This record gives sequence, C-alpha cells and structure tokens, in this order.
Amino acid sequence: MTGAAHEEPTSFLRKYVFSLDHKVIAKQYLFTAISMALVGGLLAYVMRMQLASPGQEVPGYGMVSPAGYNTLMTMHGTIMIFWVAMPLLLAALGNFLIPLMIGAGDMAFPRLNRLSYWTFLLSTVVLISSFFVPGGAAAGGWTTYPPLSGSAALSGGAWGVTLWILAVALEFAAFLMGGINFITTAVNMRAPGMKLFDMPLMVWMQVAASVIFLFSVGPLIAGAVMLLLDRTAGTGFYNPATGGDPILFQHLFWFFGHPEVYVILLPGFGVIAEILPVFSRKPIFGYRMIVYSTIITGILSFMVWAHHQFVAGIDPRLATPFSITTILISVPIAVTTFAFIATLWRGSIEFKTPMLFALGMLGVFLLGGVTGIHNGTPAVDIYVHDTYFVVAHFHYALIPPVFFSFLAAIYFWYPKMFGRMMNEVMGKLHFWLTITFVNVTFLPMFPLGLMGHQRRISNPNFFEALRTPEVERLHDIATIGAIGLLLSQIPFLINFVWSLFRGREAGPNPWRATTLEWATTSPPGHGNFEVAPRVYRGPYEYSVPGRDEDWLPQNVSG
Amino acid sequence: MLNWFPEAASSYAGDIDRLFVFITVVVGVFFLLAEAALVFFSLRYRRTEKRKAAYIPARTLRSMAWVLVPCAVILGFDLVIDAVAAPVWNEVKQTLPAADERVRIQGEQWAWRFTYPGPDGLFDTEDDFQLVNEMHVPLDAVVVFELTSKDVLHSLWVPALRLKQDAVPGRMIRGWFKATREGRYEVPCAEICGLGHTLMKAILVVEPPETYREWLRSKTQTAARAEVGHREEQG
Amino acid sequence: MSEPQPALASSQPLVPSGILAMVLFIATEILFFAGLISAFLVLRAEALVWPPLSQPRLPVALTGVNTFVLLASGWTVHRALVSVRGGGGGLVQWLGATALLGALFLGVQGFEWVRLVGFGLTTSSSLYGATFYTLVGAHGLHVLAALVALLVTWRRAAAGRYTPAEHVGLDVCRIYWLFVVAVWPILYVLVYLV
Repeated sequence: MTGAAHEEPTSFLRKYVFSLDHKVIAKQYLFTAISMALVGGLLAYVMRMQLASPGQEVPGYGMVSPAGYNTLMTMHGTIMIFWVAMPLLLAALGNFLIPLMIGAGDMAFPRLNRLSYWTFLLSTVVLISSFFVPGGAAAGGWTTYPPLSGSAALSGGAWGVTLWILAVALEFAAFLMGGINFITTAVNMRAPGMKLFDMPLMVWMQVAASVIFLFSVGPLIAGAVMLLLDRTAGTGFYNPATGGDPILFQHLFWFFGHPEVYVILLPGFGVIAEILPVFSRKPIFGYRMIVYSTIITGILSFMVWAHHQFVAGIDPRLATPFSITTILISVPIAVTTFAFIATLWRGSIEFKTPMLFALGMLGVFLLGGVTGIHNGTPAVDIYVHDTYFVVAHFHYALIPPVFFSFLAAIYFWYPKMFGRMMNEVMGKLHFWLTITFVNVTFLPMFPLGLMGHQRRISNPNFFEALRTPEVERLHDIATIGAIGLLLSQIPFLINFVWSLFRGREAGPNPWRATTLEWATTSPPGHGNFEVAPRVYRGPYEYSVPGRDEDWLPQNVSG
Repeated sequence: MLNWFPEAASSYAGDIDRLFVFITVVVGVFFLLAEAALVFFSLRYRRTEKRKAAYIPARTLRSMAWVLVPCAVILGFDLVIDAVAAPVWNEVKQTLPAADERVRIQGEQWAWRFTYPGPDGLFDTEDDFQLVNEMHVPLDAVVVFELTSKDVLHSLWVPALRLKQDAVPGRMIRGWFKATREGRYEVPCAEICGLGHTLMKAILVVEPPETYREWLRSKTQTAARAEVGHREEQG
Repeated sequence: MSEPQPALASSQPLVPSGILAMVLFIATEILFFAGLISAFLVLRAEALVWPPLSQPRLPVALTGVNTFVLLASGWTVHRALVSVRGGGGGLVQWLGATALLGALFLGVQGFEWVRLVGFGLTTSSSLYGATFYTLVGAHGLHVLAALVALLVTWRRAAAGRYTPAEHVGLDVCRIYWLFVVAVWPILYVLVYLV
C-alpha cells in the first residue's frame, strides 16, 4: 500500500470521521447531501400540497402561511442547488472518482480536502439552524435579491438572510478548497503515461466545472459581502435611498448564477460519458470533440448572465446581444448531447440500471435544453419570465444532472464504493417510477406557466384567471407526481442499505470497464492502488477490432 | 398550445405568441428527432448474442461530421430565431410610440398605485389623482407608463397584455402598451416581494374611450373636491 | 509481485502543486476584487456628485507614501526568494523586513481609518464611505492574512526549513504576498486619485 501522502489511520475517529482519505470524504459529502436532499424534497412536498389544495392543512406540516410558503420555496431552491446538486455531483463524485480515475493515491491536498468537508458541514449546520431563529429562515427566493433581502424591515426576519449569506459563504469556501484541490490533482497527480487526452471525460468535466466555479464565484462573494454589510453595517450598496443600485446585485449574482448551471451540468454529463461506453461496449463518440465543446460551453457560460434580467430594468439594448450568446450555447451542448446519442449507434446495449438512468438523463434533459431557447429569446421571455414555464424549464434542465446522473453514478460506482452490487430489480423499478413521476410532476408546469401562472405565489385561487378547473387539475397532477417521486425513492434507499450487507460481492471490475478505478479492489484500500498503475491508452477502448475481449483497460500493456 | 395562453389583449401580444409558436415548432422538430434517435438506437442496438459492437471512436473530422453537421444546422436555426425575435423585442421594449394616455405606476409592499395626470395632462400638478389597485385605460390607445417602486423589487405583470416589467426602486422605467380588447384584467406582481407577494393584485379595466372619459371626469371631480376640502381645512 | 512504486513520485509535475493551487486561488481572488471594483465603478458612475460635498477628503499624500511602503515589501519578499535560491544568508532578514513593511502599511491604514471616522466618514455616512471601507477594508484583511502567512513562513525559515532545492512553501507565500501588493496600486488609483 503506497501512494497516499498520509499514513493509514488506525483509530475509528481518524479513519471514518476526521479522515484524510478522499474516499471517506466523498462518502461524508454523499451522506450529508442525501440527507439534505430529503429535507429539500420534503419542503417541495409541503409546497406541492399547498398548491394543490390551498389553505388546507398539509399532513405532517400544518397550515402554510404566505410567509411560510416564501421560506419553503427559498430554502427548497437554496438547498437543492447548493447543498444537494453541488455536493453530490462535484464533491462526492469528484472526490471519489478523480484520484481513482487518474491512478493517484489521494488528492493533492488531503488536509485541505478534510477542511473542505468540515467547512461544508458547518455551513449545513448554519443553514439548518436558520429555520429556528426568530423571524424564520430566508424568504426572499434563492436569488436573495435586494432590497428585499437587504434589510430586516423589508423581509420580515433579522436573522434569516444573514445566516443564509453566512451559510452560503462557508459553503463556497468549502467548494473553493475542493475546486483548487480537484484541478491541482488532475494536473499533477496523473499516473505515469496518462496524458491529458487520456483522462476519462468525468475528470475533464470535474476540472471544467471547478474552473468555471472558481472564476465565477469571486464576483458573487463580492456581491454577498456588500449585501451582508448592507444588513449589518448600514452601508447602502443596494439601497436607492442612499444612491445604491439593486440591479447591481443581480449582475453579480447571475455572473455566478448562470455558470453555476454548468458547474452542475458538466459533472452530470461526465457520468453519462462514463456509463454509455461501458453498457454499449463502444468507445465514446468523438472524445476530443466533447472536450472542446465542454471548454467552449465553459467560456460561453460567462457571457450569458443577463438573460436572467431581460425584464429586470436593464438597458433593453443589452437583451439581444445576451440572447445571441445564450442561444449560441445550445450548440456546444448539442454537440455533447448528440455525441452521447451517437455513442449508442451500432453499440451492443445492455439495459442495466446505471444505463437506464443515463439514457433517462438524456431523454429528460433534451426537453430542458430546448425550452431554454424560449426563455433565452427576450420577446418570449417577457411572457414566460417568472412563470411556471421557467420553473418547468429549469427542473427539466437540472433534474437530469442532479437526479438522473447522480443516481446513474450511484448504481454504477456503488460496487466500487462499497464492494457490493446493488439489486437490479429494485434498481429498474426505481428507474421507471422515477422517470414517470418526474414527468408527471414537471410537465404540467409548462401549461401552467403559459396560462399566466406566476411562480412563487402560495395560493393561485387568489387570482380569477388561475381559479379554473384546468389550473386546479394541473396542480393536482403535479402534486401527485411530486408525492410519487418522493415515494419512488424508497426502493432506492432500501436497495442502498440492503446491498451494503446483502449485495452480491462485486469484485474489482464487475462492469468489465476500462478506466483506472476498476483496476483496483472494490472498495479500494488506503492509497487506492496496491501497485501504481501505468497508463497505455485512452479511457474508452471497447470492442477494439482483433481482440477476443471487448474491453481493453487503460493500464494493460499491449 | 395557444389555447393555454390567456386571450391576447394588446397590440403586441400576437407577435409574442407567434414567436413562441415559431420557436416551439423549430426546437420541437429537433427535440423529436433527438428523442427518436435516442429511443431508436437504444432499441435497435440492444445486446444480442450475434452482434458485436462496432469500434467507432470518431477521431476524424469526417466521422465527427455525424454530430457536427446537425449542430451546424442548429446553429443556423439559432441565428434565425435570434433574427426573428429581435424585432419583436425592439417593438415592445426598445421603442416608445407617441402616448395617448400617460400614467405613473408604483409598486409597493403590497399594492399597485396608479397616478393619473388629470385634465391638464401634466404630472405633479394639483389635478393629479391616484388610485390603488385599479387602473383604467381606453381601448386602442397607446398608454405610456412610468414604472417605479417604493420599497423592493416588484414586477408589473399583465398576462393578457403579454406585458411584464420589473419595478425597481430608485429607477423610473418607461414602457407602453395598447390594449385591444375590452375587459377587466388582473395585474399580479411577478417578482417575489415579501410576505404579501401573493396578495398583490390590481385590476386593469380596458373600456371604450367614451366610458373611459366619463370615468376620468368623475375621478377628476372627486379629486378636485378633495383638493378643495383639503385647502379649506388648511385655511 | 513487483515492488510497489509510490504513485506520487512517478511523474514530475511542471508546476509544484502548492504553487498551482495558489495561482488558482489568486485567480479567484482577482475576480473577487474585480467584482468589488466593478460595483464601485457602477455606483460611482451613477452618483451625481462624487465624492459627496459633505464628506471628508481622503489622505492622498500619506497613502501615497504608504503605497511605496507596500511596494517596497514586494521587493523585499522577492529578495527573500533570491537569497534562498542562492543558498547564502539573509532569508530570515528579508522576510522579517517584509513583515515589518506590511505591518507598517497596516498601521498607517488603521491610523487613517481612525482619523477618517473621526471626520465623519463611516460605512453608513454615505456610499462614498461604504465603498471606501469595503474596498480598502477587503484589501486590508488580505494584507493581514498574508502577514500571518508570512510570519508562519518566517518562523519556518528561521528553523531552517527552506533549502535552495526545496522551498515551495516560501514561494507560495511570496506569490500571495506579491498579489496583495499588486492589488493595492490599482485600488489606490481608483479610490484615492481618480
């Protein structure tokens, strides 16, 4: 056992709690984020119940007040983006996979990695504690636009938004440490022989996401610092009464906020890029093309932010330029998506659970992708902005990477993480229930939005135009979908726990895959590789002509 | 799909709706083709005993063309969408036709306040009058509004008119609409603005010019009476 | 079974990990300051009168001298690297000089702040005061953090931890110090002069 920059620990605390091992830290992130996903999901349940039968008591929660609803939707968005999507896709998967996939013993900075997780856990505690302070948690939307969020007098609570800013700042500090670690590790710790273009696409996507995060987060932190000072030090950066400018915050927020979408999406794509070749026994279609289109996506993602602000009061002449960049970003995304679909062409496809989730990810994501064109067109955005159409769009765009890619990843790498296989029957049941209920939940929101249903209201019945049987029926369907979606996760949780103890022993390479994480034991020991691997080729050499076996691992010579 | 939209009631609503349909058709075709390819390939190339997978890493431009050419077509359609959409935006938000009627709109926690210039047609004069959560405009007249906010962000949202514009404290944003259908329309706030966000709603009454004049007259009389009363009190 | 080889030593990286990580961190920091500066410029462009008539003027001359103090610390920290590379003495002294210059800079800044607050310039007195304290304060906190890092490095240097062949830690500290020094003239020109 060699390779890790630190000794193998012996005490329980050092091994499982204050661990330096990237695999343990990955699991810490994983379990924390799954717990937060349950919190976020329950908030969604309460919201959906309220919308389906406004003013009635929600079982397990009680009455939903307008203020309570604002908190629910704010915290649902905040938790799902910052405490679920990012920790699952970046921190958990990135931490687990990057060192294994590049043949390294651990991260470049194991101590920084541990600090990253504990900072993240602290941020989680701060966020959750904000539910219990006087005035309640933040209630101004996950975007926390000032002036609403800028003073306690306007937003109702003295503590909620302040703790929200603090929690998000801590969370960003955690991901800043993580991102620096990821990039440094991928650049400096690759196994001998592994050139940049031999890295699995997952590693590329993690690095690209980290770079995008690092380059976009600075302005948001600047904006958040000013917001915090507005609340605590009496500055008036966003307060027009003192010459401040509320729209300034929106620019700083979305300069980060839009790239953030790709911070989440790219690792989601990375999962798909790993799974499709394995279950079609075919190389990924156009490896370099995907890498380049990812880089172009990353660059373009910094030039689109104002599409969130077409009707926010910015100079209307800015709309069309930002619309052009926004719509252009569909091209590199289409390149990647089509390359994934082309990978299936003439493959030998096996529908194991990870593959089902990967295909489901693409199928659902396409709808999220194309409806982005509607929102990105300023004239159409006038109508659909801040309606359920947008809500439907971004759930269709984010649920594929956050939910489908993540679940595909768990089913795929579970054997590597825990040494045992998950149950296929329960996995398939989980997939079909999930993809059905995702659509039942979110499809109705497109027509709801087109009917003129604005988002973030607690009671549609207050409006004559929305007090119709159609609106009520669509809300009912979406609510049934949301409950179904939550219940559909039960087979997954059972499967997850049951397989820990009763799953079939996986062996090092149950999927007959080519990348380096499969070249070691399941789960890998401390230091990952008993013998440091050497890399001879790219990551997706399946069905190479003239060979008996249909996979040729990266570390096998000849 | 269009029957989901509230019935169009402004001069530019039709343009926005048509643009929506156009984009839906264009992206819909690509969406269906991509989904069809995804499903077809998945089923057509599912694992069988006989067939082995082909080795197609697509390292050459020639083979990448299978993906790049469709994407080039998408790029072309993207530019078409941009070109078709720009004039509509231009019409709605970047031009300001000559005003027939002018009104100031202020969002506040949690109501819309409308200020009319009164008979002299000038704001900030004695005959101005204000209404809360109720706005009247004449049919087929260009209404130019000056939108602002007292406290936090709000968003003026009239679904029937296809009109949405955020109200920003400290900024005055001009916009316009021409209502083309009589009726009473709801004016919610579309931007989260605190506790009473849901309850923030005004009524826009679009009425024939004669009715509107009459309403205006009755309002200015009340305003004048109130003004006189106010002065007497002070005097 | 072949002799296990350590994975770490297998490939010689182009840039040491510590330096790469610091460069990435500085890239983030640059965008953080870019965010603050662009906010400052926007707010200032929107203001009718800048600075407001009722607010005290900033001490341009004293801060100008102080700017040279900080720039000098950039030179001394560079001398520290040169001396460790050459293997001769002077490393500890150069680092000590850098720390003293940095502390002097912070001291003068603090002295100015106390006077400005006395004259009525506070975070809540005007946007002018708010942007001043936020920009200059953000930089001051960075200098403070860099000073702590410098003192840690200084102690390690005194303990003989850095050699001509191995001094990545010193280099990382130097790069961060130089960043903190380089940001200041930009802020000085924007906040005090223009």
